Amino acid sequence: MRDVAIVAAGQSEFGEFPQKSIKEIFAEAFDDMKSSLAGALDPSVIEAAYVGTLGVGGFQLGQPGPLLAKHVGLGNIPVTRVENACASGGFALLSAVLAVGSGQYDVVLAAGVEKMRDTSAMQGRYWLGVSGDTEYERLAGLTFAGIYAVMASRYMHDYHVPKKYLSMVAVKNHSHGALNPKAHFQRKITLEQAMGAANVAYPLNLFDCSPTSDGAAAVLVTSLERAREFTPSPVKVLGFGAGTDYLAIHERRSITGLEAARIAATKAFAMAGISPSDIDVAEVHDCFTIAEIMAYEDIGFAGRGEGWKLLEAGETTLGGRMPVNPSGGLKAKGHPLGATGIAQAVEIFNQLRGKAGKRQVAGARFGLTHNVGGSGGAATVFIFGIDA
Amino acid sequence: MGAYISVPVWERTIAQRYGLKGQRCLGCGAVLFPPKVVCPECGGHSFEAASLSGRGRIYSFTVIAGGGAPPEFEWQANAVGSYVVGLVELEEGPRIIAQIVGVDPRAAMAAPLFEDSAFEDSGGSSGDKGKRSLIGLPVKAVIRKVYEQEGVIRYGYKFKVVSEV
Repeated sequence: MRDVAIVAAGQSEFGEFPQKSIKEIFAEAFDDMKSSLAGALDPSVIEAAYVGTLGVGGFQLGQPGPLLAKHVGLGNIPVTRVENACASGGFALLSAVLAVGSGQYDVVLAAGVEKMRDTSAMQGRYWLGVSGDTEYERLAGLTFAGIYAVMASRYMHDYHVPKKYLSMVAVKNHSHGALNPKAHFQRKITLEQAMGAANVAYPLNLFDCSPTSDGAAAVLVTSLERAREFTPSPVKVLGFGAGTDYLAIHERRSITGLEAARIAATKAFAMAGISPSDIDVAEVHDCFTIAEIMAYEDIGFAGRGEGWKLLEAGETTLGGRMPVNPSGGLKAKGHPLGATGIAQAVEIFNQLRGKAGKRQVAGARFGLTHNVGGSGGAATVFIFGIDA
Repeated sequence: MGAYISVPVWERTIAQRYGLKGQRCLGCGAVLFPPKVVCPECGGHSFEAASLSGRGRIYSFTVIAGGGAPPEFEWQANAVGSYVVGLVELEEGPRIIAQIVGVDPRAAMAAPLFEDSAFEDSGGSSGDKGKRSLIGLPVKAVIRKVYEQEGVIRYGYKFKVVSEV
């Protein structure tokens, strides 16, 4: 496969936007992506597009790709909707990277979008459950909060982890989100607030859960060969991997880690030729606090059962050895499902180019994104490097 | 509004819901539930029917409050406040996810998830069930009402905690 780079990246504000339609949110991300380029972007150079979305609410479940592509002025190019629950964005990016890497196209758009706040509380919980194993898992009375809670209980049991460490993930990511002007929640929370919130699915409380958000994100993927036609500082895709697992947790041997993410990370590092200790900054899929702790282990930042210890030392906090989720993560930046995997790449793109503002990780050279679908049925990991 | 498990979809799994009908792999002997076409242990494709005893132990659990309940279970969260869901490891091997009945959700949340000297009772009140984590407790399958949809009550397995033998 030939070398591939990201040359432009942008996202809409994440949050609750009653006045904005899915088209307007998408256009906001597309415009933000364009503004990351020094010059203007001629949309006719884009040869294909992949749009990640679950289609929450169901109001544009079919053909959101053509709808959104034409709304932002793309040509009559092939546009494909990519669906893999909360990893829809990561798999849209994977499709774009493969399309360019194969040599078929030189310039491809990878984007993601979700409009979640329009749904009622009851509809929202319906849509949050459609990506689980509907026949067996959900009919025990579980949404994803409950499924991750079952993982959390066993993780805490096996490794003797007090609840405090889960809450520390929320406190950290809110402190990062407070520095991100596009985050859904731009405020810090205290450990007492995080630990004392109302139960959702014990041991997970409200502050262990990411929000449902409106938002979109977009990146422009090109061959490395042509990247400098667009920008003097492209971000190179050094490696990637993706994996799948049984959808239901009762089918998996281990529930204290996600095999799909482990496979994705192993492949990505092998391709990039670097190791987890080389990563300077990472965006990981913290849909629930326990998920970030498991991500540390699945990626290889920590040994099995030891991920929570990184929080104690503040190693993954901004200013620490290897900041994780400087954007605020899903927890504070927000989690518009289909947009999330792309927005993670947007953050790393900005970090590696030194454009992350108050949350900049100084001198970051290698960045990683980790995007998980549902409770681990699918995952992607990308490793990026600044092509200096 | 809910996960749309229509009556025909439900009916196809009655043997599992009512009778815990699983399968045994003829290649490696692994017992599987629910039935599959490929054995995850050995990749085999040949199976015979196997009934599960319904006995096992709680491998992990959660306590669902209203905010964590799917819409079709909201009535239950509204009626009882919270309910307990467990991942049960059956004697025959498979894990199965279902509600745990007859357990006080508050006690389930109050008990420590792991043994730690800081939590131990100095008075040795080992009879206080509220202090015992659900993880590891023995359970037995029972048939209960799971929920209702399309005007049809859906019965199926749940698990209740039984005494240690």
